[in-house]
Amino acid sequence: MENTLVEATDVKKDFYTGKITVNALRGLDLNVHKGDFLSIVGPSGSGKTTLLNLIGALDVATSGEVKVFGKDLSSLSRRKRADLRLKSLGFVFQAYNLVPVLTALENVEFVLELQGVGKERRERAQAVLEDLSLGELGDRRPNELSGGQQQRVAVARAVASRPRLVLADEPTANLDSENAKTLLEMMRYLRDEHDMTFVFSTHDPLVVSYASRVVTLRDGRVVSDEQKNSIAEDDEATVH
Amino acid sequence: MATSSTLRIAWRNLGRNRRRTFLALGAIAVGQLAFLATAALLHGYAEKYFDSATGPLVGHIQVHAPEWRDDRSIDLTIQDIHHTADEIRKDPNVAHVSPRIFAPVLAALTEDGFMGMVVGINPALESHKSGLLGDETLSGKIGDRCILVGRVFAQKYDMEPGMQLAVIGQDVDGSIANDLFTITDILSSPVAVVNNLGIVMSLHDAQELLLMSDQAHEIVIHVDDGDLLDETVLRLSSSPLLAGMEVLPWQKIVPHIVSMIKFMDIYLFIILFIVFLAAAAGIANTMLMSTFERTHEFGMLLSLGCGPGRLSRMIAVEAVILGLLGVAIGTVLGLGFFLLTSETGINYAALGGDKSTYEMAYKGLQISSFVFPKLYVRDVVFAVCAVLLTSFISVIWPTLHIARLAPMEAMRS
Ligand SMILES: Nc1ncnc2c1ncn2[C@@H]1O[C@H](COP(=O)(O)OP(=O)(O)OP(=O)(O)O)[C@@H](O)[C@H]1O
Ligand SMILES: [Mg+2]
Repeated sequence: MENTLVEATDVKKDFYTGKITVNALRGLDLNVHKGDFLSIVGPSGSGKTTLLNLIGALDVATSGEVKVFGKDLSSLSRRKRADLRLKSLGFVFQAYNLVPVLTALENVEFVLELQGVGKERRERAQAVLEDLSLGELGDRRPNELSGGQQQRVAVARAVASRPRLVLADEPTANLDSENAKTLLEMMRYLRDEHDMTFVFSTHDPLVVSYASRVVTLRDGRVVSDEQKNSIAEDDEATVH
Repeated sequence: MATSSTLRIAWRNLGRNRRRTFLALGAIAVGQLAFLATAALLHGYAEKYFDSATGPLVGHIQVHAPEWRDDRSIDLTIQDIHHTADEIRKDPNVAHVSPRIFAPVLAALTEDGFMGMVVGINPALESHKSGLLGDETLSGKIGDRCILVGRVFAQKYDMEPGMQLAVIGQDVDGSIANDLFTITDILSSPVAVVNNLGIVMSLHDAQELLLMSDQAHEIVIHVDDGDLLDETVLRLSSSPLLAGMEVLPWQKIVPHIVSMIKFMDIYLFIILFIVFLAAAAGIANTMLMSTFERTHEFGMLLSLGCGPGRLSRMIAVEAVILGLLGVAIGTVLGLGFFLLTSETGINYAALGGDKSTYEMAYKGLQISSFVFPKLYVRDVVFAVCAVLLTSFISVIWPTLHIARLAPMEAMRS
């Protein structure tokens, strides 16, 4: 279906560490639809990161099926999966998202270069930063940026190639609530204005309050999946 | 291909840990300097040895009667010497042809005799850079029983121009030969035997003294193109005129010099190998450390979908920049050394605190404390290639490390 970006069916994921087997996901079902602003919550160890890694083609399921944009990921080679990540997905990690020796602008430019964008990548990178009100930070290196600014640049980089789906693992974990808010508003702006779909894991109630849908995991299964009107959705607040 | 970002990242990463980068650069630069300095000195020596080997005494090619080199027996001669020399001179690669006579004799100024060596030459044919006389100045002073004596020889027995020297020897028939000669000048020769014992006279005078008619013991040949030596030797030895004679290139006459020059090449190769190792250690260490330090960064880039090949290229570009920079600094230092010393030469004796230079002769080879360093472009090219190769070799390990990285594992570190 066109509007279903992710279809995970009866997904199991086991980790083998020495003699112990950890069943991180134990038969999980989840569909992600276009336009979702989806927050995955659950206690530590419930499998949030594991799930995001599977959807993000960073890892493969032990059993079950994970389809992204209609493609079964287990049928893709390592290289094809890397290609999918590069061209169709956006990633924001918890921290240290940026190449330390490159400026903010160069970081955005670099992924565009990896994606094979030609000469116009500098302008495009600049445009993305400006679109997200980060134009002034362009020539700063990551160590000259605050944690919140770094995460915003990371989002800018993740969305520079206009991916349909952006995955973020605890993007606000290292941010105070002010910075977290700015980041969330930025992401929601991208969802609203650029038709992007966001899936993020979090422990942060603030993030949950922004979500349009909350999926709760426990012991590697979905225990609840609720559609909601986020409190912040009615606010006038935008990044602009 | 190194794209702009790859270059940028590689370059800036070198600046990330400056001290480490400088240390690596220093190791490579010092290695390169050591190599170039050694190469320059060894080439200087090799050239000197080569010049002295192929110079006035030995020449490029020699012709003698087959046994003469071993026996030095006075009757082992080359016949018809004028005609033979003229014929040899017709060979396209032959530059100089010098027939010579050597005969040990007893010499005397007064009643006391001493050992000497008659060296019979054609002064006109020896008045060039690689001839026994060196230049024209002395050539007119030989002939009609006028002779030159070697410098050391003259000093030892108090001989001076104007004196009469009696020479007593054995002629080709085995009977006593003797005659009286006038010393016209003292000859400073680069050839030890001439300097120490030489009684240098015209070929004609020597032939008369020794009853040799149109004969000589040796023909020394200098060629135009040293690379065509073997062909020239082949041509000459197959000529009917020299049938039964021994025609030898200088390598066969002074094989110890050939092996000495060969040894220098081996020595140079060993030095290059050490430079290799120093450079490899410097670069490999730097690259390994910077790769392991950046494991998290690499994990992040791999997660974004960056290929491991791309990361390896980043590392390789970094290593190559490091290697080239180091080798460039080393080359500048090496050229500096070369420019400082190539004009004035280096005096080893002075390095030991001694103001004088020394010259020794060993088996026809001039050994001196003085050397003029010589540097060839190929040395620099050679070292640059070696260091480049080293750079590539030293990123093999980091590359393997990157290829094995799982993005998520790497992110966690
Ligand atoms: N690479 C791994 N090797 C072994 N076990 C793993 C690995 N990754 C995850 N696990 C285990 O799988 C389970 C799920 O981990 P996961 O990281 O998905 O949890 P999470 O919900 O993201 O937790 P948190 O909220 O603390 O980030 C945990 O028990 C964890 O120990
Ligand atoms: Mg997690």
